[in-house]
Amino acid sequence: MSDVLAEPGSLDERGDPATAALAVDGLELAYEVRGIPRAVLRGVSFQVRPGEAFGLVGESGCGKSTTAYAALRYLPENAVVQAGRVLAQGDDILQMSKSALRKFRIEQASMVYQDPVQALNPTSRIGHQVAECFTVLGESKSEAQASALAALRRVKIAAPESVMDRYPHQLSGGMLQRVVIAMALASDPQLLVLDEPTTGLDATVEAEVLDLVRDLREETGAAILLIAHNLGVIRSMCDRVGVMYAGRIIEEGSAQDVFDNPQHPYTMGLLNAIPRQGLRKTDRALFTIPGNLPGIGSDLPTCVYVDRCPIADDLCRTEVPPKVSVGTDRWTRCHHVERLSEIVEPEAVVTEYEIASDNVIELDGVSKTFRQRGHEVPALVSVDLGFHEGETLGLVGESGSGKSTLAKTLLGVHAPDEGGSVNLRGRPMQGKAGDRIQESIRAISMVFQNPDSALNRSWTVRRILRRTVTKLTSIRGEEADERVESLAEAMRLSQRHLDMRPKQLSGGLKQRVAIARAFAGDPDVVVCDEPTSALDVSVQAAILNLLANLQNDERTSYLFITHDIGVVRYLADRIAVMYLGRIMEIGATDVMFSEVNHPYTEALLSAVPSVDGEAENRIPLTGEIPSPANPPSGCVFHTRCHRAIAGLCEVTEPEMVELSPGHRIKCHLTVEQLSEPIEISPADVLAEIADLPD
Amino acid sequence: MTAIDDTPESNDPVPAPDAAPDVDSREAAAAGRKAARHETLRLLMKRPAFIGGVLIVMIWVVCALFTNLIAPYNPLDYRTGLNMSPSWSHPFGTDKGGRDVLSRVIAGARDVLKIAPIAAMLGVLGGVILGLLMGYLRGAFDTVASRVVEAFLSLPVVLLALLAITTLGNSNWVVIGVVATLFTPVVARTVRSAVLAERELDYVTSARLRGESSLFVMYREILPNISGPIIVELTVRIGYAVFTVATLSFLGAGPPPPSPDWGAQVSDNYNSIVAGYWWSTFFPAAAIASLVIAVNLIADSIERVVKS
Repeated sequence: MSDVLAEPGSLDERGDPATAALAVDGLELAYEVRGIPRAVLRGVSFQVRPGEAFGLVGESGCGKSTTAYAALRYLPENAVVQAGRVLAQGDDILQMSKSALRKFRIEQASMVYQDPVQALNPTSRIGHQVAECFTVLGESKSEAQASALAALRRVKIAAPESVMDRYPHQLSGGMLQRVVIAMALASDPQLLVLDEPTTGLDATVEAEVLDLVRDLREETGAAILLIAHNLGVIRSMCDRVGVMYAGRIIEEGSAQDVFDNPQHPYTMGLLNAIPRQGLRKTDRALFTIPGNLPGIGSDLPTCVYVDRCPIADDLCRTEVPPKVSVGTDRWTRCHHVERLSEIVEPEAVVTEYEIASDNVIELDGVSKTFRQRGHEVPALVSVDLGFHEGETLGLVGESGSGKSTLAKTLLGVHAPDEGGSVNLRGRPMQGKAGDRIQESIRAISMVFQNPDSALNRSWTVRRILRRTVTKLTSIRGEEADERVESLAEAMRLSQRHLDMRPKQLSGGLKQRVAIARAFAGDPDVVVCDEPTSALDVSVQAAILNLLANLQNDERTSYLFITHDIGVVRYLADRIAVMYLGRIMEIGATDVMFSEVNHPYTEALLSAVPSVDGEAENRIPLTGEIPSPANPPSGCVFHTRCHRAIAGLCEVTEPEMVELSPGHRIKCHLTVEQLSEPIEISPADVLAEIADLPD
Repeated sequence: MTAIDDTPESNDPVPAPDAAPDVDSREAAAAGRKAARHETLRLLMKRPAFIGGVLIVMIWVVCALFTNLIAPYNPLDYRTGLNMSPSWSHPFGTDKGGRDVLSRVIAGARDVLKIAPIAAMLGVLGGVILGLLMGYLRGAFDTVASRVVEAFLSLPVVLLALLAITTLGNSNWVVIGVVATLFTPVVARTVRSAVLAERELDYVTSARLRGESSLFVMYREILPNISGPIIVELTVRIGYAVFTVATLSFLGAGPPPPSPDWGAQVSDNYNSIVAGYWWSTFFPAAAIASLVIAVNLIADSIERVVKS
């Protein structure tokens, strides 16, 4: 049934490239490093039709950002285009003169960058910066001011007049990204390039920004090129998607088709590596992709994926796979489309994850108040939390909800306030790690978010592990060496890696070293602070599998902090939801996802863009998270709650109530009230400005 | 703007399952480190400025080591003629005391090459210790030390040095001590800011959480990671030290008059420039300039390579 299409490098057949909003044709691009060109893009071809949203996905290093920048010719000095064309409305922007290029960028195309903080000038008022986009188009100062105000209204910022007078540091990340989008849309561009526009934002804010982009797209009819590593974002935003690997697009089709019915082993691997569709660690291990992406500039085999492909054979090694059509406007670059079913999912797990009944560690009425310029900032407010041996407790909440403070207090980075205590097997520990006895220090360890920061880059892996072993245990001499080697083996690190420095290891290997270090003292509790958020999905899968296996073998408890609902659902046995330093809801994972939730949890869960394309009924969290220095009266969540009861919630702080055994929420509402469906009015989706600190 | 900060070691592919036995791998790692150092050296050798700087410094080092073999005359010997202009027998001429300028310039390399590097090293050592303590401990110690450092930096350097040398006498060791003390606060500031960035990284948190002492965290964990800026600081300081030492001896705080010191030679003879005897001042001054420039060329190259 599959037909071989035209030769690689030629444009696809979805219409005349001269009429496309963007047509990239056989683009080959290299970065020159120390005089040596290193190939990054190796023949990328795709088209974005007018009004279409095209998504590019792939792991880091596959060239997707370079493609995005090449689309506007925003290329660094050391970039060399070796072949190919980039056509916008039929004009090759790679051949344009400087002035033509400037005109093109002003009038026809715009870009939204990953980090809005860096995209805006910190010393200039928002109104001035937005107005500049209009003066460039030839408007007078007063016209530009009026247009700027209208532009801010268009991106649904509440009180745009007041935003005009503010500086970037006075606005939140979500607000800033709206401002950047407003600037990008100033010229009503035919092409809007978005490079990971929501990567630095909280899930709730991400959902708002994506909603906005979706609305604006309908309004303006601009074609969109969206770069994201989050497959859910692409699925919810794009009509078509191209999957990139090692500088080539290896599969292309409608977003729905590609994600529901992938036709390339790599796409299948990526999708299977994500914990989704309610998958739990008790169901099966996650799918991993063995090996690494070929390095930038390295020689490529005929099929770029051959070294990691489970169904590769001699044909794949000797012949470049042609574009194989697998439907209308849908193709893949694989020799063996008919054999894809041979790729099997990992087998179901047979082991039961046993959880003991007594608490290893207990937080008993733990509060933490920071002092800032004479103000008291309560970051944690009487938190009671215990976890059992062998249990994973997931901790979720927006940035600023106190998750990290909780973890740091547990670890002893800072001491809790008077009156609360952290108990290890029933006995209270000293607040600060430096004051704790050896046994308490050994009992709790941490895996950090960013392994680059967490590992000393001038130490070898062996030294990092050995120091931790000898510091935390009484093991010395040759026994310590053996312990280091067995630790490495448990993390699937080879002996060779032990004598390397962190810089020589890939991100996944570094995180394995960090996990090995966390396990060096045979701890009772490991605090994992978003350990996979800096990693690609295929690497994330391997790390999550490793953590699940280690827990089963070592009977360790995890406090797992994450933004990713899919990950926490996969790994956690229980989930605690934090807001403004308080635990708003806690319960067993399956209960949390099947029964009624606290309104805050409800909003959090609804915000996740899903790769499964499930029906969405998003509950917006209006405004920003209030400052902990000045928490709202009554229930701290009432200012953003879609179910708040006037006259009650803003007056009285609710008690923790038990809905079912082990499932507790801090809310006045009854189960019946919580299960009523809610209506969202358009006014609810305005982004409000947070209260400014004095 | 460079798009990829690519190092040959990064993006290491996953190794074959049958990795080499342990002993081999250690050797391999040592070889890897050697290769990294070799790479740095290779990058330095590609810079003409670095090669030029090294060549000039080498010339002066050879002069200092083999003064007796190279110098045509005894640098302290009175020749027959005073203020003889450059000629074949006296290429740099003779000075107002009738001594051969070439021989004195060659011999003068010895003192400055002894004093300047030692002074710079001691100054950097002091600065590293102070800067580590300030940056890592923060708090009251940092506040007080920072104010003291700033106060110190606001004083005129030469005045301070002259005061110290006239009080303590002008032996080589006093000059070394004075220059080192002058450099310590400057280096401390550089090191402090490097430590401030470093201590925010999670490996420092991790070390503290496993109960490491402050000394261990400062010297074992943090110090190796700030060695780049420290090496740069050291080379820059050597350049400054050459200049400071020459300045001090010009002002009379160096070795006593007959000794062939560059600064002292300039100060001895510059009065006779007006009489047309330029060579007895020019050549020692050129010697100072050449060494300062050479050291700065090296420092600049190292800085660029370390930061790239």
